[in-house]
Amino acid sequence: MDLVLQLFATGVVVGSLYALCTLGWGLIYGTTLHFHVAHGAVFTLAAYYAYVGQKVVGLPLPVAAVAAVILAAASGLLIDRLLYQPLERRGAVRTTLFIASLGTLILVENTLAIVFTPDPLRMDIGILQTSIRLGPVFLTALHLLTVALVIVAAAALMLFLRHTRSGQAIRAVASAPEMARTVGVDLRRIHLLTYAIGSAISAPAGILVAMDVGAEPYRGTTFVLLASVGVIMGGIGSIPGALLGGLFLGLIENLGVWKIPSEWQSALSFGVFLLFILVRPRGFFGRRVASAEL
Amino acid sequence: MRRLRTVIVTLTLAAAGIAAAADSAPIRIGAILPLTGSGASYGVWMKGGAEIAAEEINAAGGIAGRKLEIVFDDHAADASKAVNAMRRLVEVEKVPFTLTSYSAPTLAIQPIGAQHHVVMMNGGGQSDNLANKDYLYNNIPVVSNEVGVIADWLARDKKLRTAALVTANDEAGRNSAKTFRDKYAAAGGRVVAEEQVTLDGTDFRAQLAKLKAAGGELLYINSYGRNVAIIADQARELGITIPLAGTSWTLVPETFKSPGAEGMLTTKLPFDPELPFAKKFRAKYGVDAGFFAVQYYTGTKIFARAAEEAMKKSGGRLDGDGVKQAIESLKVFDTISGKLVFQPNHAALMDIEAGVLRGGKVQVEKVIKASH
Repeated sequence: MDLVLQLFATGVVVGSLYALCTLGWGLIYGTTLHFHVAHGAVFTLAAYYAYVGQKVVGLPLPVAAVAAVILAAASGLLIDRLLYQPLERRGAVRTTLFIASLGTLILVENTLAIVFTPDPLRMDIGILQTSIRLGPVFLTALHLLTVALVIVAAAALMLFLRHTRSGQAIRAVASAPEMARTVGVDLRRIHLLTYAIGSAISAPAGILVAMDVGAEPYRGTTFVLLASVGVIMGGIGSIPGALLGGLFLGLIENLGVWKIPSEWQSALSFGVFLLFILVRPRGFFGRRVASAEL
Repeated sequence: MRRLRTVIVTLTLAAAGIAAAADSAPIRIGAILPLTGSGASYGVWMKGGAEIAAEEINAAGGIAGRKLEIVFDDHAADASKAVNAMRRLVEVEKVPFTLTSYSAPTLAIQPIGAQHHVVMMNGGGQSDNLANKDYLYNNIPVVSNEVGVIADWLARDKKLRTAALVTANDEAGRNSAKTFRDKYAAAGGRVVAEEQVTLDGTDFRAQLAKLKAAGGELLYINSYGRNVAIIADQARELGITIPLAGTSWTLVPETFKSPGAEGMLTTKLPFDPELPFAKKFRAKYGVDAGFFAVQYYTGTKIFARAAEEAMKKSGGRLDGDGVKQAIESLKVFDTISGKLVFQPNHAALMDIEAGVLRGGKVQVEKVIKASH
């Protein structure tokens, strides 16, 4: 029983990290319909921004982390402004955008590997490293912070989308882009805003993983892949769905290990995903997968 | 007819000229090492050790008057990268000899070396499968020697009779785990659980949680490189308080610095940090030398000695077969750590020390002498 509780707790922590990615990626996909795999690059860049901020520039960790989130938001925005928007203006189809996005991801990952080596770069996280015992379960302070941050991020995003003008405009574009344009919403501006917010929500996941086990150049690919899976499982366009999708993936990955050898860990999430889209294509909440496009 | 003869004579003279030029050209050898990836710390030691050896050899006039040059290549713990590097060494650089490291990469390049008559000297990989291979020599004991010693020490001397195993999912890890199971059982111990980890992984909490639940008086690590410190720290974080244990390959700088690895039970192979070599290493690279630095220093020196012998026999010609015959006939080499004897299985025997890791140093409790 202790083992199940421990695996459950670890699953919630890992699931929270996935959920941050899922929230950000899902917001961008739901609004722009861009299959933005370069989100993985933004996730990874956030980790390196924080690393450089703390270890090269010498900023205190909280300052470095906040600066990294802002820079990551700017990076996401720039990918839309300098890559997707010019391509769209020239009438590129979604597949072209996807290939360009994939190219960006690979370019960023390899550049980081060349500049910083492929080895994980450890940060100093001080007291966040302290192991905390909750009954039979052991977690670090950083893990508790991770879970808290996901709750805050999801709530903030929900409030922003419901109660601010910009948030409402994003929702309008997500549900009916042509209608939104007709009533005078500037689609390009809303896309830029969506990229900035989506990137800012997922950036903490990149930074938190780096604080836990070190910044690594190729980690973003796994996370963005899982984020897209989580969004489809949760239901496209649904914030609670994205949250649940991410958490669910973390939980299967870890609880699955209870009875299945651990080398099956990552195969497990994708196996469950395949079953899921066959049995319940709508996801937990939201639109049908079949209507989702690349 | 006369003109043809003149051409032949001229060609022969030209060929002799090339041969004479080749005699003063540098001797190039290869070194396929983990320069990046999870074992990059070994790479720093291995490359530095080989470089210092080459400098010393060249400062003393080279090998039969020819300078020694080492062509370094990275395998990043990946067998296919090692094969690419070996092909380049064989086909482009045409080396007679290469230093090699790690079990899976070395096993992958060995057939290429044997086919092209290139001698390989492994000073790092310890899989039992590295023994008895043509053209491959190991200036390190294979793992069954060392794992045998630690399994026995843990079960009999330390009275730790049940063990949970965490094993790297590669040739070296699996071979170490298999040997540990056999030797530990022979010493009266019992393995209660085993979980596998990837060498380039960074989060092993799920595996460690399972091992914790399985119980056991000891967590035995069949992995190496930066993995060991991650396993140690995450084990402690999960409340695993039983002793950790592992052989000499677990002792990299990351492990010495890891708070979780404090008190780890370990075997090590003899390395004296007071050697002039160690001081030279520290001055040149700014990091402390370790056992594996000496290994590749020694491997390079063995080559120089064997090449000199081979060239003496062949009248100045140097090829892989000459080096192989020289190693086989010399068998015993003087090294900075004492005499090194190649066994009939192409591996070296060494004294093995068992002890406890404290404050970044192994406090030796027992020495098991090699019986040559």
